[in-house]
Amino acid sequence: MEPFIYCENVTYTYPEAHAPALADVTLEIERGEFVLFMGPSGSGKSTMLRCFNGLVPHFTGGAIQGHVRVAGADPLRAGPQELSRIVGFVFQDPEAQFVMDRVEDEIAFGLENAAVPPEEMRHRVEALLAQMGLSALRDRPLETLSGGERQRVAIAAALVLRPQVLALDEPTSQLDPHSAQEVLQAVVRLNREDGLTVLLAEHRLERILPYVDRIVYLPGPGRPVVSGPPCDVLRFVDIELTPPLVTLGKALGWEPLPLTLAEGRRFARRVIPSPLPRHASRPPSRRTPPVLWVEDLSVSYRETPVLRAASLSVGSGELVALMGRNGAGKTTLLRAIVGLLPPHARQGRIWLNGERLDDWHTAEICRRVGYLPQEPDALLFADTVADELWVTLRNHGLASNPPISPPELLDRLGLRVQATAYPRDLSIGQRQRVALGAVTVTRPRLLLLDEPTRGLDYPAKRALGHLLRAWQREGSGVLLVTHDVELVAQIADRVVLLEGGRVLADGPPDAVLTSADIGPFAPQVAQVFPGSGWLTAEDVLRGVEKGK
Amino acid sequence: MTARKFLSGLIYTLSAAIGVLAFISPFFPAARSAALGATQGQGTGAMTMVTTTALVLLALTALLVEMHGQAMAAKTVATLGVLTAVASVLRFIEVAVPMPGGFSPIFAPIILVGYVFGSRFGFLMGTFTLLVSALITGGVGPWLPYQMFTTGWVGMMAGWLGRLMGSQRRPSGRRLGGEIVVLSSFGALWGILYGVIINLYFWPFTAGPTIPGGPDVEWSQIASQYVAFYLSTSLVWDLMRALGNAALIAALGAPTIRSLRRFRRRFHFTVESPHA
Amino acid sequence: MRDPRAWATWVLTALVVASSTRNPLYVVLVLLSTMVVGGSCASDANQGRQAVIAPVRFAAVALPFAAVFNAATAHIGEVVFFRLPSHWPLIGGPWTGEAMLFGVVNGLVLTTIYSAFSAFNRAISVRDLIRLTPQAFHEAGVVLCVALTFVPQMTRNLRRIREAQAVRGHRVRGWRDWLPIVVPLLVGSMEQALSLAEAMVARGYGAVSERRQSIRTQVTLVIGLVTLLIGWSAYSLRAASPTWRWLAVVSLAVGGGVIAGVVIALGQEASSTVYRPRPWIMADTMGMVGCVAVWGVVLLGRGALYYTPYPHLSWPSFHPLVGVGLLGLLMPAILVGGARGV
Repeated sequence: MEPFIYCENVTYTYPEAHAPALADVTLEIERGEFVLFMGPSGSGKSTMLRCFNGLVPHFTGGAIQGHVRVAGADPLRAGPQELSRIVGFVFQDPEAQFVMDRVEDEIAFGLENAAVPPEEMRHRVEALLAQMGLSALRDRPLETLSGGERQRVAIAAALVLRPQVLALDEPTSQLDPHSAQEVLQAVVRLNREDGLTVLLAEHRLERILPYVDRIVYLPGPGRPVVSGPPCDVLRFVDIELTPPLVTLGKALGWEPLPLTLAEGRRFARRVIPSPLPRHASRPPSRRTPPVLWVEDLSVSYRETPVLRAASLSVGSGELVALMGRNGAGKTTLLRAIVGLLPPHARQGRIWLNGERLDDWHTAEICRRVGYLPQEPDALLFADTVADELWVTLRNHGLASNPPISPPELLDRLGLRVQATAYPRDLSIGQRQRVALGAVTVTRPRLLLLDEPTRGLDYPAKRALGHLLRAWQREGSGVLLVTHDVELVAQIADRVVLLEGGRVLADGPPDAVLTSADIGPFAPQVAQVFPGSGWLTAEDVLRGVEKGK
Repeated sequence: MTARKFLSGLIYTLSAAIGVLAFISPFFPAARSAALGATQGQGTGAMTMVTTTALVLLALTALLVEMHGQAMAAKTVATLGVLTAVASVLRFIEVAVPMPGGFSPIFAPIILVGYVFGSRFGFLMGTFTLLVSALITGGVGPWLPYQMFTTGWVGMMAGWLGRLMGSQRRPSGRRLGGEIVVLSSFGALWGILYGVIINLYFWPFTAGPTIPGGPDVEWSQIASQYVAFYLSTSLVWDLMRALGNAALIAALGAPTIRSLRRFRRRFHFTVESPHA
Repeated sequence: MRDPRAWATWVLTALVVASSTRNPLYVVLVLLSTMVVGGSCASDANQGRQAVIAPVRFAAVALPFAAVFNAATAHIGEVVFFRLPSHWPLIGGPWTGEAMLFGVVNGLVLTTIYSAFSAFNRAISVRDLIRLTPQAFHEAGVVLCVALTFVPQMTRNLRRIREAQAVRGHRVRGWRDWLPIVVPLLVGSMEQALSLAEAMVARGYGAVSERRQSIRTQVTLVIGLVTLLIGWSAYSLRAASPTWRWLAVVSLAVGGGVIAGVVIALGQEASSTVYRPRPWIMADTMGMVGCVAVWGVVLLGRGALYYTPYPHLSWPSFHPLVGVGLLGLLMPAILVGGARGV
């Protein structure tokens, strides 16, 4: 019997590309399976998913060879419009998938295109709203919804034509952990309860591994695609792509590989719990004044207080992570420092290198502070990467005497080869580094980064960590706003937790990340080895080594 | 030339003719005296206004039907929608911030986009931008079909200008000096022309009884009346618009065109030309 | 009354009737009706107040301006306020009271149109308006939907980009300084448009095969347009003789009908449907009945609606029947239950 979904010897090359994105891929997927597609950025996960609904090659162009069958249909020949009844697709960006501005209308859009009669339309829309728990939101404008709610609407809109397969291309990469959890739970429910075959491409694997029936691992150009049950495939996967628990399991030889925290704890009990102190982080030098000192900062927006008497400091060479739920005031804090808030909206004092920042214009502040906003693409407009750096220098009047020479900075960022490339053509990680270059070319003493790890895979995150450490060594302070606990566990010297505009906790990572305040989003290792002070897989391995 | 192309051209010409006729109706004795209500009764005056508006709407409709003759791919629809949103947001600026005279920031983007993407795209963008911006700024009124029609033509002619200058064939790296000069002049010219045309709409309303009545009046007399009216009321306004268009295009045109062309190249973005 | 088609008809009716008469009594009646309807659509007390205040404010500007302008340019009438030398262009001659009165009535008509459109804007959301797009223009409807959906997004993008550029030291001082803001806005928007297009295609948009214009449609359009042209030329150039006028009216009607017919026929061929969560209700029908009454007055009672202050000032007449007919405009206010959002 023919498998439900299969592809055979599929090779695909994007138009004007030098090498194929997919090379001779052969796969089989059974009905009702939950399949996870994993691999580093650029390895072809998105391309693979798009083969199943015909977007490749009908929408993207290019040349394709091989056979693909989904529930009997041939996507390569039929095209995405026909396949929309068989495969529903959810994309990454919750802001750019919607045609309509109300929830109900958006869900009905697919039905309109398929010329479903109005009575039937109403019936299906009602059913779907109920199924996805969106009935309360039906009349709301989409722009007022949170990222998680929007992705649920996107799922509902994809399901309205009653497809048998649901494909999701990194649906949670732009979301915070809470929303991501919401969305993934909804998807799991669809698979378990309604028997929908799910094809999911993801980087964030921790929460999803327990539910996965099959993993398809695309290691990148030149290496064959591996497909099979999770425990088998994870053996082949590069260390840096796996969540800490799995990395640990592989290193310590735990069999079968633990996918959930419960399984992890069972193995963890066997390890001698010798609570060794973490590898000491660079102690903040107490002699020099802190690079950043915020005291009693209160900000209200339209009479709702967003920050309440928040205080924190960043020392020279220190990396402070600022964490908290969405809406806790993290971005507002950064914006207050950089002067993007109107003066009447804020009270409190901010010192930068000992100078008060009260009335300075943003442009002046940003000579001494490098601020990387959440959307680095908003910065890029020049014709080449090198030009981006020169634009900033010209803005500040430093073109004739730059604090760092742009070629040197490009070297450090690993962009020397791309100096003459058009910035928007680069990958997301590279674009972010260009933006980082554009704000650090003035050699600032303080770096502010707002959620820089969105959409990045593990290797790119590690590269970012290295960059930050280089700046720290030069004496700059770094304030990093992020949700990414694992990253914080690896690189932060101090963690500040913000909740409802107030500072809830402020201390070294092993104290804050294991405290009750952090909630269920503590690092995996900390949850599996409670009370040990270990936060990352490296900690555990070092601890085990020392214990021997 | 195939029959289709010929018919297409015919439809464009006829719609333009009807539009023009509707606009210049004040110059014609019978229509005019009816507008005054001097002889037939004021109902006819209203009927005339309704008729001219209906004519413009019908001409607009015919053009839209013609443009829908070729299916619009999702890429075109999405890009058209998004660019219309961008231009409409610019209209907010015009409404919210006091601008000198009739300066309106929406013409420059429409002209530039029509120039790069073609006449069909330019026409649709002009028409839809006026509609959407009127909807979001609450400026819907009986003058809207006229504005839509005229701005649509601005976009369309920018597209023809583009075809004339070989815009679609140019690679994106070249120097753009000459093109910018031509486009700025185009923008200035239309800044004034737009005012002249739209004013024709308001003229009988505000200056009704002053227009000489009776069937024996020469239309040249009426034309000179209109010129006097125009010079005394809206010339300054329109000069501001013309200068604004020219300045915007001169300052921002070259990089904008480069980005638009680059976008076309990167994404193999083809817009179906109406005469394909 | 809540269907956008009903409201569109209502505002069109108000527009036509307001422009059909210069009798101040009737004009004021229509104006008050539109204000009442506007108030009935208000969602809270503040909006209700606005329905009255806004037209009054408008009138406060429009009336004096129109009065003065008309007095300055029309020099007909017996009640003379003062005289300027007749050889002065445009404004020379007697400035009369009749002209001023006519100007005031003109101003009132403008105010009525303004008030009617304000009520319309309040009654239905912009989104509902888009639903009015005929099926033949389904793609245009989608473009408009996308545009409306992205307007708030664009405003946010604009703010984000301005801040991002400020963060690298950019200050807006001249025309050229808008460049770092305009270019990322355009390019970013177009990139978002492509993501959107992909999502649309994945949801079945464009499933219909490429529709090519049939020659038949094109020819029909040409016929319609030519007929319109004939009609209008006849009307404009030869309106004196009745036969030509008849020809004009018939041609215009036929031409309009042909084009409308093309649109309807294409609409039926279209292979997509419209999601209408709120169907037509009784209140909509009653609103239509009211509009029919008004149209009746306009078409049949033209003589009764006529009024001119020239050349002698006289009292305007008022027929009770005409008044009642015009009150048909009030229907939406009487049937408030189906107003927006309820």
